[in-house]
Amino acid sequence: MTDQVIYDRGYRTYDGPRLGPGGARRAVYKDGVRRVLGLGRKARLKVFPWSLIAIALIAAAVFIGIHWAIGNIEESLREGAPTYGDLFDFYSGISLLFIALAGPQLLIPDRTKGVLSVYFSRPLTVDGYLTAKIGAFATVVGAFYLVPQVILHLGLAVIATEGFLPYLGGNLDILWKVPVTTLAFIALHGAVVFALSSVIDRTGIAAASFLGTLFAGGAIAGRVAEAAFPGARFASLLALDHHPRIIRDHLLGDTIAYAPEVAGFEVWASVLVIVGLVAVAAVFIRARYRRLA
Amino acid sequence: MVDWPGAKKKRVMTVLSVSGLTHDYGEVVALQDLALEVPNGVTGLVGANGAGKTTLLRLMLGLLHPISGSMQVLGHDPQTDPLTVRSQIGYMPEGDCLPKDQTAADFVSYAAQLAGIPAREAKRRSSETLFLVGLEEERFRFLGDFSTGMQQRVKLAQAIVHDPDLLLLDEPASGLDPEGRVQMLALIKRLAAFDVSVIVSSHVLTDIEQTCDWVVMLDAGRLLRSGPLQGFEKLGTVLVEVLERPEEVASRIRAQGLEVVVDGRRLMVGPGDDSIEPMVVAAAAETGAGLVRMVRGSASLEDLFMTKEPAP
Repeated sequence: MTDQVIYDRGYRTYDGPRLGPGGARRAVYKDGVRRVLGLGRKARLKVFPWSLIAIALIAAAVFIGIHWAIGNIEESLREGAPTYGDLFDFYSGISLLFIALAGPQLLIPDRTKGVLSVYFSRPLTVDGYLTAKIGAFATVVGAFYLVPQVILHLGLAVIATEGFLPYLGGNLDILWKVPVTTLAFIALHGAVVFALSSVIDRTGIAAASFLGTLFAGGAIAGRVAEAAFPGARFASLLALDHHPRIIRDHLLGDTIAYAPEVAGFEVWASVLVIVGLVAVAAVFIRARYRRLA
Repeated sequence: MVDWPGAKKKRVMTVLSVSGLTHDYGEVVALQDLALEVPNGVTGLVGANGAGKTTLLRLMLGLLHPISGSMQVLGHDPQTDPLTVRSQIGYMPEGDCLPKDQTAADFVSYAAQLAGIPAREAKRRSSETLFLVGLEEERFRFLGDFSTGMQQRVKLAQAIVHDPDLLLLDEPASGLDPEGRVQMLALIKRLAAFDVSVIVSSHVLTDIEQTCDWVVMLDAGRLLRSGPLQGFEKLGTVLVEVLERPEEVASRIRAQGLEVVVDGRRLMVGPGDDSIEPMVVAAAAETGAGLVRMVRGSASLEDLFMTKEPAP
C-alpha cells in the first residue's frame, strides 16, 4: 500500500509579469473582437455575424465569376460589370446590419450588466477602455469591408489576361482608395452607432435607432433641402449615410448623385461632416463614460 | 514581456490611511471629515445603507474624487496614481457585474487579463481560482445559467484571480441563502490565511463578527469607531446587583459618562472598557449600597453600533 496524499490546490500567489494598462487595453480589444463575432458565446450569437460575413464573401466571389464569365476584364468593365465601388455598394446594406449588430454589442452589455465596475477596478482608464472598443470595432468592421475587396482584387488579378502581377501593378491605386473608402464608412457609421449605444440600454433598440437615424436622416434631409427657404440646402448634409458614399464615388467612380451633391456640395464637405461628427461623438461618449466610471 | 512597474507587489503594514476625507453628491454628504487607519488583515466596513461604505470603496479605487482630505491605499494615493492602486486591488462589487453570455472560465480569465496577467497564465489561474471557490465542475457553463450563490462565487473569483494585495468585497454575502453565506464567509477567512488583506463592506454585523479582526463603523458618513474586533468585544456591559439604593449608584456612574439601565436592584452598566468595574465599586462604597455581584458580558457589534457614539 502506498502513502497517499491529498493536495489542496488552494490559493496560489502570482509572481510573473504584469502588463499593466497596456495589457488591460489589449484584453478589452480582444474581447471586443470575440464578442462581435460571437466567439466563446452561445451558438445563436454566432449565426447573425457569420451569415453576414458569408454573404459579403459570396458577393466578392460572384463579382469575380461575372468578370471570368465575360472573359476579359477591360471588356467586362466596358460592359458595366461590377467592380470595387459596386462591391461597396452591393454590401452597403448588409454592412449596415453588421454595424448595427457590432456597435451595440461592444458597449451596451458591459454597461447594463454592471461589467463596467469590473473594468474600472482594473488598471484601465475610460479612454483606454473606449480606445480598445473602437479598435475592436474598426478591426472587425474594417475586415468586413476589406476582406471581400481583397478577394475581389486578387480574384481579378488571377483572371486578368495581362497576368497576375501586371494587373496588381496596374491597379496600385486600389491599395489606398479602398482603405480610405472603408475608413470613411467606419468613421461615420462608428460615430453614430457608438453615440447611440452609449445612451440606449437595449441592443435591439440601439440597432434600430442606428438604422433609423441613417434612413430617416437621408429621407428628411432630401425633402428639406428641396424646400424654398434660405440655407435649405444645408439640410442635405443631414443625410449622414450619403457622405461616405460620396467619398467612395469620388475615389472609385461615380454612380449616382447623392443629396449633398445635388445641393451643390463638394466631396470636401462630406469629409468635414464625417470629421466633425466623429469629433462630436468622441467628446459626447467620453463625457458619458467618465460619468459612468 | 515587459513587466509594468506600477504592478510591483509590496508588503505594507497599513492598507488604508485616510485623513480629513469628505465627499458629497451635491447636497448629500456621503463622507464627512473621515480619519482612520486600517492595518493588514480582514477588516469589516459596517454601517447602514447610505452610511458611505460604497463611496469609501470607490474613493479607494480612484473612481471618485474627494472634496477634501487625503487617502493612501497600499501606500499610494488613488487620486494621483489610480492605475497603480487598481493593479494591486481586487474588487467584488455589490451589484451584478457578470456578462451572462460568457462562461465562468472565460470571464475569470478575461478579468485576470484586465489586471495585466498574460493570456496563457490567465487561463491557468482562472481554472485554479474557480476550483478554489468551488466551481471547478461548472466553469464551462454560461454565467446566465448560474444560481445567485454561484454568481457570487464567480464575482469573488474575478476579484482574486490576479493575486491582489488588497481585496475589496462589497456585500459579498448579499442574496445568499444561509448555507451559501456560511460558505462565502469561510472562503473570505481562507483568503486571509494566504496573506491577502481584505476589506469587507457589509450591513450584516454578524458576518463581520465571524470574519474580521478589525472593524470600521460608519454612520451617515461619519466614523463611529475603528479598531480591532477584540477591542470591541472588551467594550462590553457589566451587570451589577446591589443590596439597596440602586438609583443613587446609577446616578453616580452616569456622572462619569456611562450609560446605566436600572431594573430593580440590578443595573446594566456600559458598554465600556475595564474601567467600569472600579467605578462601580467606588460608587457602591460611596453610597453604601452594598455590592452583591458584578458580571461582565460582551457586547455584540450590533449593540455597539446602536449606541452610535462617535469615535473618540
